[in-house]
Amino acid sequence: MAVGGYTSDLERGDVLGPLTYTLSPFVVREYCHAVELHQDYFQGTHGQIMPPTLIHLDKLRLYRHACPRGTGPHARVHVEYDATFHDAVHVGDRLRVGGTVSDRYEKRGRDYVHIDMQLTRVSDGKLLIAYRDTVIVSYQGSNA
Amino acid sequence: MTPASLKVGSEWRTAPREMTRERMRWYVDAQPTVAADNGRIQTQEPTIHDDDDYARKQGLPGIIADGMISTNWIMGLLLDTFGPDFARRGRLRTKYIAPIYEDQVVISCARVAAVEPAEDGATAYRLEVWCEDDSGKKLTVGEAVTYSKV
Repeated sequence: MAVGGYTSDLERGDVLGPLTYTLSPFVVREYCHAVELHQDYFQGTHGQIMPPTLIHLDKLRLYRHACPRGTGPHARVHVEYDATFHDAVHVGDRLRVGGTVSDRYEKRGRDYVHIDMQLTRVSDGKLLIAYRDTVIVSYQGSNA
Repeated sequence: MTPASLKVGSEWRTAPREMTRERMRWYVDAQPTVAADNGRIQTQEPTIHDDDDYARKQGLPGIIADGMISTNWIMGLLLDTFGPDFARRGRLRTKYIAPIYEDQVVISCARVAAVEPAEDGATAYRLEVWCEDDSGKKLTVGEAVTYSKV
């Protein structure tokens, strides 16, 4: 197990979280403003829901908890987003997010890490979003 | 473009947008802002998305956009077509196959690969999605599934 250090140290089988939090209107509005999703159901005041892309920042939430030393000596580069949306995530929902490092492998001199995450509603345990994140850890550009 | 008008092979796209330095930084700043969740904008340490010197030290020619920006721009294209139902039920996969540099033009695109009946009387739309630049070079590729009751 490699939790407790850098994200670049994560190994297959490492468990991240789970963590619980309440989704705030501020978070949804600020995120959607930053990525230019200006629809009322994200940035308005009634019936606000979460864009399913926001789960990617839950990964950073898990990283901060599991890897308090940060990214590591080199940058981390996102390779792929893959999410299945099972139900709406509403502002005010109490949520639980957790993940597992499902794979780590080397390809053309670069280390790839897959994390499989689940976002569930605390009140009934319903799976809302399943997400697989793929990154290159310790990216060193053409020097790799 | 409405779901009812879509057929296999239908293709549509956003207007071109330039990936400016500011657009890259907005996403960088959103990350600690979301993490803090205290009503204030936050900033973070230099990244490959907002600091040229740091990016060059990581082997890049300059700052590049975070891939999630193009994912969100594709999501916006699909939300504008299918409405909030796409945020409630569906799938989106995006893979970043080329870096997006400062001021590069980005166009988000979708093409219908299949239209199928789904449960609950809905129609499932299987889509090829991508971002390309103004020369037609693909930058981000992927697929999506959305459901609509039309």
